[in-house]
Amino acid sequence: MAIVSFPSSILKVTNLAKSFGGVKAINDVSFIVREGTVTGLIGPNGAGKSSVVNAISGFTRVDRGVVELAGHDITNQAPHRIAARGLIRSFQIARELQKLTVLENMMVAPFQQLGESPWRALISRRAVMREEREHLAEAVDWLQMFNLFALRDEYAGNLSGGQKKLLELARALMAKPKVVLLDEPMAGVNPTLTKTLQGYISRLRDQGVTFLLIEHNLSVVEAICDHVVVLAEGAVLAEGQMNELRETEEVISAYLGG
Amino acid sequence: MSSLVFYLLTVAIFFCIYCIYGWGLNLQFGLTGILDFTYITFVAIGAYFAGVAALQPGNGGLGEQYILGLHLPFPIPPIIGGIVAAVLAILIGYVGLKRLRSDYLAIVTVSVGQIVWTLIGNITPLFNGWDGISGVPQPFNSVFQLDFNHYQWVFLVICILFAVLGFLIIERLTHSPFGRVLRAIREDENVAAALGKNVFRYKMMAFVIGSIYAGVGGALTIAYIGAYNPSGFTTMETFIIWAAMLVGGSGNNRGMILGAFLVPVLFNEGTRFLPSPPGNPLLAESIRGMAIGLLLIFAARFRPQGILPERKTVFRLDGLQQGGEAGGDRLVPQ
Ligand SMILES: Nc1ncnc2c1ncn2[C@@H]1O[C@H](COP(=O)(O)OP(=O)(O)OP(=O)(O)O)[C@@H](O)[C@H]1O
Ligand SMILES: [Mg+2]
Repeated sequence: MAIVSFPSSILKVTNLAKSFGGVKAINDVSFIVREGTVTGLIGPNGAGKSSVVNAISGFTRVDRGVVELAGHDITNQAPHRIAARGLIRSFQIARELQKLTVLENMMVAPFQQLGESPWRALISRRAVMREEREHLAEAVDWLQMFNLFALRDEYAGNLSGGQKKLLELARALMAKPKVVLLDEPMAGVNPTLTKTLQGYISRLRDQGVTFLLIEHNLSVVEAICDHVVVLAEGAVLAEGQMNELRETEEVISAYLGG
Repeated sequence: MSSLVFYLLTVAIFFCIYCIYGWGLNLQFGLTGILDFTYITFVAIGAYFAGVAALQPGNGGLGEQYILGLHLPFPIPPIIGGIVAAVLAILIGYVGLKRLRSDYLAIVTVSVGQIVWTLIGNITPLFNGWDGISGVPQPFNSVFQLDFNHYQWVFLVICILFAVLGFLIIERLTHSPFGRVLRAIREDENVAAALGKNVFRYKMMAFVIGSIYAGVGGALTIAYIGAYNPSGFTTMETFIIWAAMLVGGSGNNRGMILGAFLVPVLFNEGTRFLPSPPGNPLLAESIRGMAIGLLLIFAARFRPQGILPERKTVFRLDGLQQGGEAGGDRLVPQ
């Protein structure tokens, strides 16, 4: 199989389980994400996709199971610690920092900025400013790519729904992640831009970034995902390549058939 | 010296001190969204500890009881006041800031404020109970040997120096990446956490730095008045500082200056001379509270962001080293 030639797994989820009261959002989920791939996570509404992303990124405590990132056990660690290890997630419902401008939203993202220490902010002003200029240049590049440059000084709360999703994605990428979990990043984004974003994701993948992508649009999944995990009712129903999965009966009945 | 000049000097001094209070609260709430409903307790702790740091040991000749009595020269007492307020903030922060919900800290602060107030009032050996401590020496006046009227000028200069320094520090923090993280936390803690920011740590830092402002402001207050007792740190005092911030513009340190002028100076001092009908000495006090309350309601209705709202950060982009077409090879840095 072609998979053999892929590098080792960077993200490994084993026997994950999580219930909310009586609802088993995640029943027993295991899968791996190989480094430098785009792995799709698909499934009907309520299948548990977002719950899996929340569990991996530390936003919900799991009842059972293990999450490993690059060989480290990160199960139930605090979200900021997981992010510090290079795993950045986006939110299904865009969470823009409303009263920060679009550029500021981007500028929050870089990890361990010198000027984030109050002491350094006070005494090392020059070094802080220099670092700000570097980040600013990167942020501007990203915003240009995402057609948000003209809105750079607008409060993020004033963006349209689609623009907020774009900002969410751009901000995640601005953090220079090793692994990115994207929860429906293209929902509400127009088709032309969706194509462009697909191009960026593939390009980033080629440069070594790993993606776990939740996406309902199967032609997008087919176009950019190297591997796809199908969830249904909190469990893995099938996995493989999208073109194979399209023919799989369980997948068709659970998901594609409706 | 005319009594008008004397009065104006007093007002100017309190104006400076209220600015310092306000900037601290503004860092906590305006920037970070921390609901500190007992800000005045940190002021009081700073005042008391600065007081006993400056007082002579023992009973100070007035028969008052208090701890320490270190007889330290200015500016060490305000430093001690700031440090002790910071320590109290760390303790309260550990209890109240771990939770995601901001109202949790609000409740903790209200309770702590009540507890501290009651303890200080009832445990006389600490700070002389309800009567409070007095006779705190005026900074540098053993050198100048001025009478109280002329000393006012000296103290105003001291307060202006503290206020200017306080303003420069708070402005630099506000407009730094540190301040940006605080505002990100105010907008959405989860986003900040998802970007690797240790939310608890940042909230703690904002809480502590804000409390240092409170403690130093309190230290200046006791150095000026020379005395302090529990009637100086009631909930009404916290309310006045909050009102000043909300009216002036939370998140804006210049708005805070305006708020400090409008609320504690103009409204609070301005209503001080309302005649009190005989037999109802508390009327003026009540009217003061009502006046500030009305001002708040008007502000909330017509200027919810305050008179000077938080300013938008606009970055200057000229001279940036841009990557060119679609970011060039900086697409994934490193
Ligand atoms: N915090 C919560 N409290 C209670 N139930 C929850 C919670 N989060 C998720 N659930 C439940 O868990 C199940 C899985 O939800 P989840 O959001 O993971 O689905 P999803 O696959 O992302 O769906 P969609 O495609 O609609 O986004 C749902 O039945 C949902 O109601
Ligand atoms: Mg979802």
